[in-house]
Amino acid sequence: MATALPANRRRREGSLRRTKFLTLAGTYLALTVIVVVVAFPLYWMVVTSLKLPREIYRLPSLWPNVFTGNNYRTLIEEKDFLANIKNSLIVASCVTTISLVISSFAAYSLVRFKYRFKGVLGRVILFAYLTPTSLLFIPLSIIIARLNLGNSLQGLILVYLTFSLPLSTWLLQGYFRGVPRELEEQAMVDGSTRMGALFKILLPLSAPGLAAVAVFTFTGAWNELLLALILIKSESDRTVPLGINYLITSDVLPWGTLMAGAVLSSLPVIVLYFLAQRFMVQGMTSGSVKG
Amino acid sequence: MAVLTTSRSQPFKRTGLSFAGRQALWGYLLALPVLLLVLGLVAYPFFYAIYISFTNRVVGNPGEWIGFDNFRYLANSPSFTRSIRNTITLVLVSDVAKLFIGLGLALLVNQQFRGRGLFRSLIMVPWAMPGFIAFLTWRVLYQPIGGGINLILTETGIHSGVIDWLGQKSTAMPAVIIASVWRGFPFWFISFLAALQAVQPDLYEAARVDGANAWRRFWTVTFPAIRPVILVTTLLSSIWTANSFENIWLLTAGGPSDATMVFPVLAYFGMQTQRLGEAAAVSVAMIPVLAILVIVVTSMMQEDE
Repeated sequence: MATALPANRRRREGSLRRTKFLTLAGTYLALTVIVVVVAFPLYWMVVTSLKLPREIYRLPSLWPNVFTGNNYRTLIEEKDFLANIKNSLIVASCVTTISLVISSFAAYSLVRFKYRFKGVLGRVILFAYLTPTSLLFIPLSIIIARLNLGNSLQGLILVYLTFSLPLSTWLLQGYFRGVPRELEEQAMVDGSTRMGALFKILLPLSAPGLAAVAVFTFTGAWNELLLALILIKSESDRTVPLGINYLITSDVLPWGTLMAGAVLSSLPVIVLYFLAQRFMVQGMTSGSVKG
Repeated sequence: MAVLTTSRSQPFKRTGLSFAGRQALWGYLLALPVLLLVLGLVAYPFFYAIYISFTNRVVGNPGEWIGFDNFRYLANSPSFTRSIRNTITLVLVSDVAKLFIGLGLALLVNQQFRGRGLFRSLIMVPWAMPGFIAFLTWRVLYQPIGGGINLILTETGIHSGVIDWLGQKSTAMPAVIIASVWRGFPFWFISFLAALQAVQPDLYEAARVDGANAWRRFWTVTFPAIRPVILVTTLLSSIWTANSFENIWLLTAGGPSDATMVFPVLAYFGMQTQRLGEAAAVSVAMIPVLAILVIVVTSMMQEDE
């Protein structure tokens, strides 16, 4: 017995280690497969944007023989893509600023004040968040035309608030709830006003949350296609998704140019995501962000 | 709360409002901008859409009330019935796929191993990139010539010959579903991962001591703990998938011959033909189903606050 026991245990530990190793190997294998599946379309996007037309249409290959910057040149010089980027930057930053300011007020009200109909208000915001654009775009186009904001970036900014305000209010509520109420109360005992407590205590302490919400609203506005397609008619007001969409409507699809546009318009968004992802994951899972 | 009543409020004393009254007033004032914009830009258009769907409005002419005529017309329109069937297929199949992939990956990444954070970030990329870019890229991948999918199939010897994935009826819908799953699964993954990380570790320990194997531990500990998250994620994703425009618009625009037509694209085409009453009716016809999903999911989302 005395000698059998250690051997037995050694065997058990050995098999345990083997199971652990197999689990680990299986995990890495499965995750590698997924990463390849995730990465391949991105790889194809980048590679296509660097190919000459003959390598795109006639002799497709996984790795281009000749790399070219022509597609990017065409996009910027002939298609005026920088103007699209400028329009998108204007729209997305205005939407982000407006949403952050007035949604902070609304979220502050919903989290820290007591009044009748507060529950109803919270519900209205949640309903608004879940009301899909596909249901609203026809009446919105009529309303915007009536306001004389059709075919303008201002009109686009206004309609983008339909998705950014409910989302940011909902997310900020979650972040504000995480800040202990006592800190504001202490500040108010020390002579700060209610609004002072918001600006000096709550907002600074929710900075990661504000950053995450800013990224969500910015990318939401940067990526939006349907409303822009309906509201913007003139070429000079086209945003990035619109500029790219109108490249498709020509007869021969210029895949090289399209993919150059794809690279340029995803870069800022992916960079933003990687910078802010630590804060964003929390917001995404608590507030459930549209994808 | 009581602390707030103690100090300074000279300016308000003159108004003669009680503390509770002042608080309510501030509460309403702060929420007012968002409330007004939401009412004006979401609630009003929502009911306006319903009204338009009962009229024969066209661009330039408000039209008049025609009762259920638009809906009767839609019920007999092959494109519309086709778009309902396609929407159901798209939602059901992609939900199931995203559930399995998302949950499986979340369980894998929830283990302790080196490079876990890196894998988590990489898995999120399809969700982090702009949707219109994701679908445009898939359109390139599906091209019969110059597309990456056919190239891989020929190079690996799985299938030689040119397949027009998006151009033929039999493959268009599966192709759209695959692209939509690729774009959407990270959201499921990250929701499930967050839920898994919130499960008490001692519950697993207790189950292990009781001699439960991994399979039993999943069904007795993990699954009950994350069930609410699974439900909310499924409902949210169904709402978004059923209403998504850009995936279909950029991949197939509903073709070939309505094989991938869904109602947001149909409504958009309706709007382009200037018949706003009919176009609005296409989306409005979806409200009953949408309302049920939204009411269920909002009550669940508000519960866990």
